[in-house]
Amino acid sequence: MIEVSHLARTYTRGDGTPVPALRDVSFTIGKGEFVTIRGASGSGKSSLLNILGCLDTPTSGSYRLDGEDVSGYTDQRRSHIRNRKIGFVFQSFNLLPRTTAAENVEIPALYTGGPVDRERALAILGKVGLGGRAEHYVTELSGGEQQRVAIARALMNDPPLLLADEPTGNLDSAAGESVMKLLTELHREGRTIVLVTHDEGVAAYAHREILIRDGLVAADRPQPGRDTGGPAAAASASGAGA
Amino acid sequence: MNIGRTIGLALRTLSRNRLRSFLMMLGVMIGVASLTALASVGEATKQETMRRFKRMLGTFDVVIVNPGGPSTRGMPSLTSAPPVLKQGDAEAIAKEVALVKQVAVTQFAFDVDVKYGDRSVSPSIMGISPNWTEVRGEEIALGEGITAADNDAMARVAVIGEDLRKALFPAEDPIGRQIRIADVPFQVKGVLAPRGMGPGGASMDFTLAIPVATASRRLFNRDYYTGMMVQLRDPTQSDRAITDITALLRERHGIVPPAEDDFTVTSPKAQVARVTDVGSTLSKVMLGVAAIATLIGGVVIMSLMLISVSERRREIGVRRAVGASQRDILAQFLTEAAVVSFIGGLAGIALGLGGTLVAAALTKLPPAILWSAIGGAALMSILVGLLFGLQPAWRAANVDPIQALRS
Repeated sequence: MIEVSHLARTYTRGDGTPVPALRDVSFTIGKGEFVTIRGASGSGKSSLLNILGCLDTPTSGSYRLDGEDVSGYTDQRRSHIRNRKIGFVFQSFNLLPRTTAAENVEIPALYTGGPVDRERALAILGKVGLGGRAEHYVTELSGGEQQRVAIARALMNDPPLLLADEPTGNLDSAAGESVMKLLTELHREGRTIVLVTHDEGVAAYAHREILIRDGLVAADRPQPGRDTGGPAAAASASGAGA
Repeated sequence: MNIGRTIGLALRTLSRNRLRSFLMMLGVMIGVASLTALASVGEATKQETMRRFKRMLGTFDVVIVNPGGPSTRGMPSLTSAPPVLKQGDAEAIAKEVALVKQVAVTQFAFDVDVKYGDRSVSPSIMGISPNWTEVRGEEIALGEGITAADNDAMARVAVIGEDLRKALFPAEDPIGRQIRIADVPFQVKGVLAPRGMGPGGASMDFTLAIPVATASRRLFNRDYYTGMMVQLRDPTQSDRAITDITALLRERHGIVPPAEDDFTVTSPKAQVARVTDVGSTLSKVMLGVAAIATLIGGVVIMSLMLISVSERRREIGVRRAVGASQRDILAQFLTEAAVVSFIGGLAGIALGLGGTLVAAALTKLPPAILWSAIGGAALMSILVGLLFGLQPAWRAANVDPIQALRS
């Protein structure tokens, strides 16, 4: 699914000095994997996620998504890839205010060129447990519900890859856990999930962990993974990760 | 995104922030409203001017010959006009200019007392050739007009205008009554159909007409005319007729350019064009003001759109993340600006039409609605939106989604 090799991303500061965020990152993520990318703030994990999400292009190195080398794609083509192959879930939900849950879920469909399938949007909302909330404005929903709307939006165009950036970072532990359960379930259905976090408890849900430090892969190791989840399992997994 | 969906999205977005959308529309609305109203009122004024000229001249298919050079101003009368246009000129024009069908002549005078019983008034007095009624297309409302026999006999007969009839004969039938024009007795034989106001706004019905031979020999003792109306065989040939008549009269009057002519030959079309030109200079200024108002409306759209873009950075980031390209974002914001401006334009057109109808009711002029101006205003409002939406849309398209999503 994802193949990055010798990926580097260097930003240029205002005074012209280059700041390397990613130095040399290589890894492969197979179809159907549930992987966390973990690292401290400033480690380069966000830069990596932006490139994986086709929001940014690498300074050097290559990125193959689904067999396609997308590292040199134009904005138009990268937009198309984001639309069809990638679903984003953000820490701060990023829902549009003054807009209903269903309207938010439909947004990705606006850019497919095809019709907007309201039925599908409602079905996905039902699936994430918000069947009765479709016509609610997002500001009327709780944090956990908002994040589930965001996940429904990510699923609208049925992308094979979900990229989640600290999806539980703004949630209390109960809401966070239900979001993680939802992601676990989506993984079980065959979707590839890449989750960026600094939280070991969250990382414990995945089967593999890629640790980023100073723009390099510091560790790449399997995790037990949890298909059921629960406070006890989360505690033991987070202990194992440390 | 296709255009229909983009417009739908723009409408939804605009309806979410009604106050801002209204403010964006306001400037364009006022500009377009004034453009529409001004264009319509201008057109109504022009049409009314044409109608008045038509009433004064009877017809547009004539060439007018007046005494005095091109710098002469005002309505020529026996006291003001140089004594240059004679019966021989009229006959020569009728005979020698091939384009000419017939020539009607007039002697025009003011300040002559007309009395009936103990009533005394001073209407304008026209000595007219018998073909005057036909050349001008005038109608006789009551009795008969001036005939060739009247003119040949220098008969003391008169045809009176409607206002004069009211003044002298408020309650009786004027036909056959004897009136005194400068103490000369005349018999009323007809009443002219009402002609309304002339170009200056004064009534043209406070007048009376007598045979021109009677006027020149028995009343005024003047052998020159104050005006000639030349009817053409082919009305489209007025320019050529003017050239031919000018040449003929110069020859007859012994005028060699660069000496100034002692007569003026014009066509009503030229006169009307001159008058409406004066009107349109004013309306051009007002149209300019309206155009400036519309441009200010555009600037308002631009500044509010720029605010909107910075407030909606997160939305832009989200749309970019889920698959909107820079082009999609550009199109979205450009469409929003165009749609809001167009709606403002439509509202302005409605307002302008309302204003036109009110103005028509107040001035009692029939409203003239210029559909071409309205179509132009609608188109212009879209263009204003596109033009002033371009910079904000460009800025929106260049919002960095990574930055926007992080906030």
